[in-house]
Amino acid sequence: MELTEEEIKTAKETSQNILENYTCTDRGKIIPVLQNIQNELGYVPLPAMQTVSDHFELPAVDIYSIVTFYNQFRLIPPGKNQVKVCMGTACHMRGGQIILDSWERRLDIKCGETTEDREFSLERVACVGCCTLAPVVVMNEEIHGKVTPTRVDGLLYSYQLDKEQEEGEEQEQKAGEENE
Amino acid sequence: MNNETFQKIKQEALADWQALKEKTVIMVGTATCGRAVGAVEVMRAIDQELANQGVKDAVLMEVGCMGHCYAEPLVIIQKPGYPAICYGYVDEGTASVLVKEFIVGDDLCIEFALAATEPNDMFPTFEDFPRGMVEQKIVMENCGIIDPHNINHYIANGGYEALANAIEMTPEQVLQEIKNSGLRGRGGAGFPTGIKWETCQNIEDDVKYVICNADEGDPGAFMDRALLESNPHQMLEGLALAAFTVGASHGYIYIRAEYPLAVERVRMAIEQAKDKGLLGNSVLGSNFNLELEIFQGSGAFVCGEETALINSMQGYPGIPRHRPPFPAQAGLWNKPTVINNVKTLSYVSHIIKKGADWFKSIGTPENPGTAIFALAGKIINTGLTEVPMSTTLKQIVYDVGSGIEKSKKFKAVQIGGPSGGCIPESLLDTSIDFDSLSKIGAMMGSGGMVILDEDDCMVEIARFFLDFTQKESCGKCTFCRIGTKQMLDILERITKGEGVLEDIDYLGELAQNIKNGSLCNLGKTAPNPVLSTIRHFRDEYEAHVIEKRCPALMCKELTTFYILPEKCERSCDACIGSCPVECIYSNEDRIKVIDQEKCVKCNSCLDACPPQYDAVIKLSPVDMLKVKENVIDE
Amino acid sequence: MSKTVNLTIDDKQVSAQEGEMLLWVALENDIYIPHLCAMKDYTPYAACRLCFVEVEGKKAPVTSCTQPVYENMVVHTRSERVDELVKKGFELIMSNHHLDCKNCPGNKNCELQKIAKARKLPLKPKKLIQQVNEELPIDDSMDKIVYDPRKCVLCGKCITACKENGNGILNFAHRGIDRVITTFGNISLKEAGCLDCGACAEVCPVGARSIKE
Repeated sequence: MELTEEEIKTAKETSQNILENYTCTDRGKIIPVLQNIQNELGYVPLPAMQTVSDHFELPAVDIYSIVTFYNQFRLIPPGKNQVKVCMGTACHMRGGQIILDSWERRLDIKCGETTEDREFSLERVACVGCCTLAPVVVMNEEIHGKVTPTRVDGLLYSYQLDKEQEEGEEQEQKAGEENE
Repeated sequence: MNNETFQKIKQEALADWQALKEKTVIMVGTATCGRAVGAVEVMRAIDQELANQGVKDAVLMEVGCMGHCYAEPLVIIQKPGYPAICYGYVDEGTASVLVKEFIVGDDLCIEFALAATEPNDMFPTFEDFPRGMVEQKIVMENCGIIDPHNINHYIANGGYEALANAIEMTPEQVLQEIKNSGLRGRGGAGFPTGIKWETCQNIEDDVKYVICNADEGDPGAFMDRALLESNPHQMLEGLALAAFTVGASHGYIYIRAEYPLAVERVRMAIEQAKDKGLLGNSVLGSNFNLELEIFQGSGAFVCGEETALINSMQGYPGIPRHRPPFPAQAGLWNKPTVINNVKTLSYVSHIIKKGADWFKSIGTPENPGTAIFALAGKIINTGLTEVPMSTTLKQIVYDVGSGIEKSKKFKAVQIGGPSGGCIPESLLDTSIDFDSLSKIGAMMGSGGMVILDEDDCMVEIARFFLDFTQKESCGKCTFCRIGTKQMLDILERITKGEGVLEDIDYLGELAQNIKNGSLCNLGKTAPNPVLSTIRHFRDEYEAHVIEKRCPALMCKELTTFYILPEKCERSCDACIGSCPVECIYSNEDRIKVIDQEKCVKCNSCLDACPPQYDAVIKLSPVDMLKVKENVIDE
Repeated sequence: MSKTVNLTIDDKQVSAQEGEMLLWVALENDIYIPHLCAMKDYTPYAACRLCFVEVEGKKAPVTSCTQPVYENMVVHTRSERVDELVKKGFELIMSNHHLDCKNCPGNKNCELQKIAKARKLPLKPKKLIQQVNEELPIDDSMDKIVYDPRKCVLCGKCITACKENGNGILNFAHRGIDRVITTFGNISLKEAGCLDCGACAEVCPVGARSIKE
């Protein structure tokens, strides 16, 4: 997935802004800085890593080494909607894998990927601590419990309805503006 | 002088707490587990209903987790003249009923009540149930009863008294008390806390660190999260005591980023403790200084290992290094560093306050105190529990957990997560403590306990944990990096029915070498789930290999779904509607048939088929299908 | 400052500076212990897990690269337990190594061959499945150095060498079985600004980083 010019620019600027709060080049601050970038951008692309390495006066590959090590950091932009399937023990025993398979089938992507249109990204998460509700799916920070393959379809469908409604409203708004 | 400062703080807190006791208080459990099932919405509904009813003098308060996760969301109502009562499975509807009937009216609504939280002559308390007789709460005592956002609640219930006492003592005296108590680290391995502290105390250095390890990564364990969300000050006080003892003036709380609520509550707790002069410069007017900071983990299970944790705090990938030197000798930034788990630190203040002898009176001589477990899996009462060491597994499964759900047959307890093992029914009388568990090939671990029933395949559970450790291996050392991958490949072969008999012994051989050869404890313990399942459930491995059969009907490649024609109701289309891949069709007799080529074995039709027909079954080995179909053809 | 201590390795009396790591003491005294990742005068990396030995008084074999020597220490470089560990460790490494000695620039100058010979171990493990990602491309972008990641044993020596002699363009990336030694963003050595100094090839114990003929 190639980054656009715009994305590269934003990545550099955002990293630069975050780094302004860190005057020191103390190595212990690298991970907090990367976490801030991840929070702001949703991912840590190569241009951001380059900016961080310049600040800490380290070879860029050292930052790359950190980012690729930890699960938290994404190298590619997340989808507009983030689907996370819990893969804790309780969820696994109650068919978490089946749910993950369902999402992969429906979205036509593998776990860890983002759909072509960047609408959805699919991830696995370790226990979210809702073992009583297993299997659990976290969709845009909202927790859905006791998920079944049919429920996956339902969640996708309700998302599509929301989207259509949104687009409809937008069009109406546009039409309204044009009429005026 | 110090005590006077503290007495003032304490009086203030007590007044605050007392004032609360005289009011009607509605407490909602809003730890992550409660929130997941709508605790925040319940809170909103209560707030709305209180406004609707014009109730102005009731206090709506957030509390943490009591451990009864199966019944979340939980609401406790304390109304003057009544015992405080805990209600379970509360939804928005129930919430407004409770306000109307109990707070405005005088009906206790016992139909929604779980138990009273204090002894009374009207209603049984949690202690009156079999569960209550087994449990003994030390660190969980105030969880779910006090507001984690309010330091006064903690202080009013005895909090920070140990710290106030300690600064009147010498660090050596505090250390002696911890050593005498025999407290062992609750992070997994059970290393004596006192010895760790002593090593660090004995080293002369101007700069030392203390770190609370809250990088709880075991998939299926949430004790640390619950403790931090429910009673963050208890851990902070323990950390402060550790710092005082070893002579550190800087400390960190390493929390995994997946626990945002815990991070928020700990951050708030640090601020409040600082405001009261219980942390920061010159604690309670003494010459003891302590600055605490939060460091968020970035998602790596291996960072629970202390040298990996240190590397990650220093801005490196979380990769373990050879020990010695131990962190207590040379840890963060090469300075003497004490790293303790959340649970371990949570015991410390109680020991200082009540004495080592009190602590030793609980549990066994070698394993004093209590143990905290997160119960999950096929058990009725999932949640958290705290029991004295030496309680048996049977008591936990049947008394605390109320047994297996849906009256299925118990198969095993998986304890200790990816580092632990599976314990069969024949060993349920084993007492839970560090030593007894490791004797039977399991491990106390951090406290995750998953109950498995007859529908759970032991080969598959072993594969699941190995898949987890394999994905979480840092990749530094040969045995863990390549060895766990090789083991996983073999297990995958077995669960697909492609295994051969020699595979089972070879797995054991690889496992033993990984245990002996790995650099850190992640690698050394990674084979445990495999070793323990081979030891106790070898017959299941053999069934997979020899008969290509999964006895629990769980392994996808070895099972198939089949609709019994004689049981299919024909006019019902439930299974067709449930199938996500549209592989079920009606034949000429309107009997439903599964297109085996397309079936993804997702279980949907089995769940959808109404129980009165019960026509969908699973078969293993897959060949059974031919037998079934031939019968029909004839 | 440090004192001299006397110890016994495989019945041979040797002396060394107290605190020196056992592996180096043995090697200096012509006693071979298999090893891949150890670098003298550096903090022991302890990753390859091949330098196990028995030290009398210790209940399990220890890695000699992390074991300081002390007075009257008694060491056995071979025992049933040590041999078993070294054999399995070696097999695991070989299951993840692209085996092609004949065409390998490291042929005859390879630590793996040396270990196989010293411990009479086969280069091709029998029961294990080959784990090499054959798709990893060979980096042939430089004039002098060539890098074949399929042969890399992840000892990390080239990273240190590049930091000290080159311009620090190498490091580990990813984790677990996916762990590799690579450049920033996995680009070619040329794009990463490699100086072609050859320091990495010099320390590589196998034929993963080599100088072109």
